[in-house]
Amino acid sequence: MRYMEISKLQRLLDLLRQQGELHSPVLGDDGVTRFELLPPGKLPDLAAIRTQLPPKKYLLHPQETILTYQADAGYRVPLATVPAMILFGLHPCDLAGISYLDRIFLGDEPDQLYLSRRAALTLIGVSCTPDEFCSCRLYPSPLEAWYDLFFQQSVDGIAVSIGSPRGAELMKILDDVMEERELLLPEDTRCFFGRKIPLPPESELDQGLPEWQVLAGHCIGCGACSVCCPTCSCFDVLEFGGLDGSSAERLRRWDNCLFRSHAEVAGGMSFQKDRAQRFRYRYRHKYRGFGQVKGVPGCTGCGRCRAFCPAGLDLRALAGKLEGDAS
Amino acid sequence: MKAGLPTSATITSVRKLTSDTTLFALRCDDPAAAGAPLPAVASFLPGQFLELSLPGIGEVPISYCGIPSSDGTIELCIRHVGHVTIPLQNAKPGDAVGLRGPFGLGFPLKSYENQDLLLIAGGLGMAPLRSLLLALLVERGQWGELTLLYGAREPGALLFLDELLYMSQSSDIRIYLAVDRRGSCLEGIPHCRAALLPALLDQVMLQPERTHAALCGPPIVYTPLVERLNQLGLADERIHLSLERRMKCGQGRCGHCAVGTYLCCTDGPVFNYAMLKGIEGALV
Ligand SMILES: Cc1cc2nc3c(=O)[nH]c(=O)nc-3n(C[C@H](O)[C@H](O)[C@H](O)COP(=O)(O)OP(=O)(O)OC[C@H]3O[C@@H](n4cnc5c(N)ncnc54)[C@H](O)[C@@H]3O)c2cc1C
Ligand code: SF4
Ligand code: SF4
Ligand code: FES
Repeated sequence: MRYMEISKLQRLLDLLRQQGELHSPVLGDDGVTRFELLPPGKLPDLAAIRTQLPPKKYLLHPQETILTYQADAGYRVPLATVPAMILFGLHPCDLAGISYLDRIFLGDEPDQLYLSRRAALTLIGVSCTPDEFCSCRLYPSPLEAWYDLFFQQSVDGIAVSIGSPRGAELMKILDDVMEERELLLPEDTRCFFGRKIPLPPESELDQGLPEWQVLAGHCIGCGACSVCCPTCSCFDVLEFGGLDGSSAERLRRWDNCLFRSHAEVAGGMSFQKDRAQRFRYRYRHKYRGFGQVKGVPGCTGCGRCRAFCPAGLDLRALAGKLEGDAS
Repeated sequence: MKAGLPTSATITSVRKLTSDTTLFALRCDDPAAAGAPLPAVASFLPGQFLELSLPGIGEVPISYCGIPSSDGTIELCIRHVGHVTIPLQNAKPGDAVGLRGPFGLGFPLKSYENQDLLLIAGGLGMAPLRSLLLALLVERGQWGELTLLYGAREPGALLFLDELLYMSQSSDIRIYLAVDRRGSCLEGIPHCRAALLPALLDQVMLQPERTHAALCGPPIVYTPLVERLNQLGLADERIHLSLERRMKCGQGRCGHCAVGTYLCCTDGPVFNYAMLKGIEGALV
């Protein structure tokens, strides 16, 4: 098994930097850990359990231009060349989150912007130890998580697995810092990938269950749970005309199913009128899926929504039953 | 096909139908050469919809209102209600728009063969049902009895009244009209009563084992209509409804249009009632 001593981490990062823009979890001066450019000399925050925003921000920008319009040329996709980028330090749940987004935005007719960014990304996973907010152990994600390389942390170093041809190529370049070791790896978090779990029963969506009203009663509707969720990808679309009167830009930006406007149609009529109903919408999406992800539970267990909800809510208020089912 | 990218099209004609509703005809700017297949967006089934872009303003989902035509003309019937649709009130022939589609699943014409068909439209729901009606009349021999029940707020709000009255003179179809409020000209309209839409069902005799119903109207009419159809013996699978949802992409991505675990834009907008039954918020 290929293995790297932890003392060689700086050297590894320098080698990675030669292959593209290197981003990883970085502890900021404000005490918040976020995925961002890793400046030379700085070490990634590999101890952090979760970044506030998941890596979806690299694939779907919080707000971005999806089309431009010119009177003489019509609508165009504003494709730019995307420089190669390496995301280093993705936990298994975040890898699973990216795989989930791939299902939605790639497939038969890939979203051009998503595709161009995804193709430029190299994904390097790192193992972690779940905390009290994580639910990957109780509720393992059945998503197949794709990665190029996966780094399993051990006492004095890192054991590397290769997950793709791109990963294999990259390993050749990293060979300098690697050595061969006979290793018996502890059960790592990847063991959850690919495991099938039953879908939660439809009865949990019963409107009559009091848990829904309790959740709805405490929620302040801030939307943080969707913003920080690695698999929430609802977007709104807006268009703005240019001052010249002959050009326009169409934007998409992150939207949120807990907002009242999410299901509103002309005349203020809404299909998700009360908050408990909107909670069920989110729950159904996360645990049962719809569209391309129908039947694919979309919670990767990253724990962000629980960790960051200002009201301390847990969408899995019915989790006792859920966890019973999963075992 | 690039379903995410609007193709340029031009408005070719504008016809005011009522004070707040207009029928537009449009054609793609990139016309296929003679004999070549129609542009994707001009080749569709009744019940499907497209996304219409008004450059600089925005995009809205709109049902096809006509049937595919050999010159690629697309008809859309639009009610002017908001941010995008109100500016369309001033649109005139020659104006540029964008179109993408077709999206969704339309009415299941295959299963309608040799069946009696009952079309029920409320208000603007006449737009997609006109597409279905025209398609059914083109191949009149394929189906059994054709009946249309159509209700609107008031006589002046009945869309396509001239066309419908013309059709009703032939033996191809029976048409019954209703208005909620009795207006001055009601007496002048044949086959029209002051009644709510479900009441029109009392006028029809249907053979439930060989009838399919196709419904499109405001959400509030669906529950009473379905109840009444069930009472008349029509099975849930034989009742097709076209649902409206907020839609931002048409491609199953923006997450706005879910009905249970179905997406209205890709699994609908036409659903049979057996699929919807029991789903919270499906009909209202
Ligand atoms: C499948 C389908 C077919 C439709 N067919 C027709 C038709 O043939 N003729 C017609 O006049 N109207 C039709 N509608 C309704 C039409 O899409 C809305 O009236 C239109 O989107 C309103 O946009 P607006 O910007 O003018 O109004 P606003 O109220 O200003 O819209 C605000 C926002 O809400 C969204 N929105 C508002 N109402 C709806 C709605 N009903 N459906 C989806 N999104 C909405 C808009 O995208 C917009 O971003 C259809 C809707 C659907 C889903
Ligand atoms: S983070 Fe908490 S309070 Fe905010 S919308 Fe989500 S559940 Fe409600
Ligand atoms: S639902 Fe919560 S725990 Fe599950 S993936 Fe989203 S943010 Fe993470
Ligand atoms: S319209 Fe975007 S998912 Fe249906």
